[in-house]
Amino acid sequence: MFNEMYQSNSEIRNQYNHINSWLKNMSSQIISQKNEEAETHFRNIGITFSTNSETIRERLIPFDLIPRIFTNTEWSKLEKGVIQRSKALNAFLSDIYNQGEIIKANIVPKETVYKKISFEPSMIGFSPPREIYSPIIGVDLIRTDTDKYYVLEDNCRTPSGVSYMLENREIMMRMFPDLFLQNRVLPIDDYPTRLLQTLMSLAPIKCENSEPVVVLLTPGPLNSAYYEHSFLSDQMGIEMVESSDLFVEGKYLYMKTVDGPKRIDVVYRRIDDEYLDPLCFNSQSIIGVAGIMDVYRTGGVNICSAPGSGIADDKAIYIYVPEMIKFYLGEQPILDNVETWNCEKKDHLKYVIDNISNLVIKEVDGSGGYGMLIGPKSSTVEIEEFKNKLIHNSNGYIAQPLLDLSFSPTLIKNQVEGRRVDLRPFCLMGKEAQLNSGGLTRVAMNEGSFVVNSSQGGGVKDTWILAE
Amino acid sequence: MLSRTAENLYWISRYMERAETTARLIDVGYRMSLFPNPNGHNNEWESVLAAAGAIVGYKEKYDTINQVNVEDYLFFDEDNPSSIYNCILNARKNALIVRTSFTSESWLAINKAYQEILKLKENKFVTADLPNLTEWTIEQVNLFRGSIGSLLRNDGYNFLFLGLFIERADNSARLLDVKYFVLLPKPKYVGGSLDNVQWSILLRSLSSFRAFRWAYDGNVTATKIADFLVLNRDCSRSLSFCIQNIVDHLINLKCSPLKVDKIYQTIKDLNASIQQEKIEAIIDYGLHEFVSQFIKKISSVDSDIQKEFFY
Repeated sequence: MFNEMYQSNSEIRNQYNHINSWLKNMSSQIISQKNEEAETHFRNIGITFSTNSETIRERLIPFDLIPRIFTNTEWSKLEKGVIQRSKALNAFLSDIYNQGEIIKANIVPKETVYKKISFEPSMIGFSPPREIYSPIIGVDLIRTDTDKYYVLEDNCRTPSGVSYMLENREIMMRMFPDLFLQNRVLPIDDYPTRLLQTLMSLAPIKCENSEPVVVLLTPGPLNSAYYEHSFLSDQMGIEMVESSDLFVEGKYLYMKTVDGPKRIDVVYRRIDDEYLDPLCFNSQSIIGVAGIMDVYRTGGVNICSAPGSGIADDKAIYIYVPEMIKFYLGEQPILDNVETWNCEKKDHLKYVIDNISNLVIKEVDGSGGYGMLIGPKSSTVEIEEFKNKLIHNSNGYIAQPLLDLSFSPTLIKNQVEGRRVDLRPFCLMGKEAQLNSGGLTRVAMNEGSFVVNSSQGGGVKDTWILAE
Repeated sequence: MLSRTAENLYWISRYMERAETTARLIDVGYRMSLFPNPNGHNNEWESVLAAAGAIVGYKEKYDTINQVNVEDYLFFDEDNPSSIYNCILNARKNALIVRTSFTSESWLAINKAYQEILKLKENKFVTADLPNLTEWTIEQVNLFRGSIGSLLRNDGYNFLFLGLFIERADNSARLLDVKYFVLLPKPKYVGGSLDNVQWSILLRSLSSFRAFRWAYDGNVTATKIADFLVLNRDCSRSLSFCIQNIVDHLINLKCSPLKVDKIYQTIKDLNASIQQEKIEAIIDYGLHEFVSQFIKKISSVDSDIQKEFFY
């Protein structure tokens, strides 16, 4: 068991010294007061989880006051690893929608790619600007030891959570300015600027503006990440549009403005592939723009991330990422994958069924911590149920060992207790590849829990990277 | 600027303005209920409902007019589109969509109002709290108005103010219309001071009670009040002030000069004539007729703005 703050001899790790004394000096009363202050702040700015019904009070994600801290040395390894991975994933996308070298080389089986729903046939033979398919990649990492990190999954479509990363920092700086005077914490607030630069560097061929017009496409206020959409467009100073603001005419995409139509160069879309274009994908979609794919394929607009990027974060493709890194970059992977059994394969399936009570079983298309089985924490009945599912739909599942996620000190009822955490840093890929000096630390607030997802009681923490 | 953004901004300030008007009306009703009234205690509440344009909706819901129900209907009722609750809810709904086009302070002002009114609504209110509630509402609206002072003076700013003054012009005119009988019969027939209570209702509901005293010396007469509320350019609620501001913010728009001019042509005569008008002439012509025409005109400007700019 690895603890982020305490060494095995229960001494405090250096980077936590200030935090430790700060914690000791904080009375229960102050903690309650600060918690309340943070909650009020989050409610006031409207960073809430779901806005389904305006009469029901919106949910807040629990925020923990104790930051999670990385030293500069620890971070630089993660930084290199995440950027390496993001490059390989983009190279993979470019390859499978064009030559398919990795398939010809028998590294990734062709049915694992071409038979997936997330493989988008309309992208075959088309290359987006700079061959960047996925300009924003969120990599979910866990730590099991001082120098041991694993990638749990990649998010290549439209990873969310970056607004929490930024707001968590804002509230911490507001409530505890002294902490930032004592500790040399690298700033993260340039993320929106870098995101905008990244998107602008991905303008399509036919773009005529020296400063491309970028918009953020949102499904609307009912979407659970709506706060993030408005936050990011605000910070970037770009229009946040809904499909009804857009239309296609003569091979270009326009938005309706009070001045009349205005041409758009880059769409940072926060809606799923399926809904993008009713003429190309789901014809029932009312949140998409008819004809946008046609404009995209003829170089009139860029869509970020590219349709069909989702194949790269498919749980069955995940298994091959270390091989991809070797194949495309000629490098050794810096970050490890979690050992994964693909139930598609007969021998793997047999192993999984024999060892099910020691494994975590996940749906290939599942997310949010739903539809999974944590073997060591499940009853015999649940296990038997899952065995049945595996036998009848072996293609739909993968299995992994239950990893010992690191513990981070967390305030539970004003007492410091250990809770498990993961980390999602955000990698930007445009003209250059860069990793923001921070990330979103999610914490499983329930004692003993391994599930950090906000939909299942997970909370968040500010994440510090210290300057050298 | 997105057309939809312009539309959202326009409606945010309309709803906030409407919330204030409703709050002032409730306040007037409350004050009246504390005075002895020869016509029975509930008389004033009916006229408050009428001024709020809520009498039809109210009667669908309640058989009798009494203070508790009227207060609840005007303040919290989800079925009353002009209740303060709904105004704030709708302002926030619009603000949620255009957070990116105004300052974070403006969003905070609206969202805090929203968070608080949810709590107020949960706690069963008692009548004695009513002055606090109306005061609270006016405070929220003022916070919002203060916050938009730091906006960029771009088209968004002008659309916000177009919404504000269209709503205010309409509200002021309707109040005048509902209460015009206070100023009638003709001044020469009344000849002297008006019923103190009646005119104070009108002025208070337009947040102009003290301003009037400052603006006019001597006796309170119907002519003076009508002049103040219709023609006085110093009174921030008068019809004349509202129309001048609509014109100003319209011609300040930088977008689509052709559309701006088209709407300007329809409103410039009204603005010019109201400048030259004498109050005696209006009263002779009929205040009710004058105000009705004004309301019609404002409503057509409103629909022109919506048609031209919001698609």
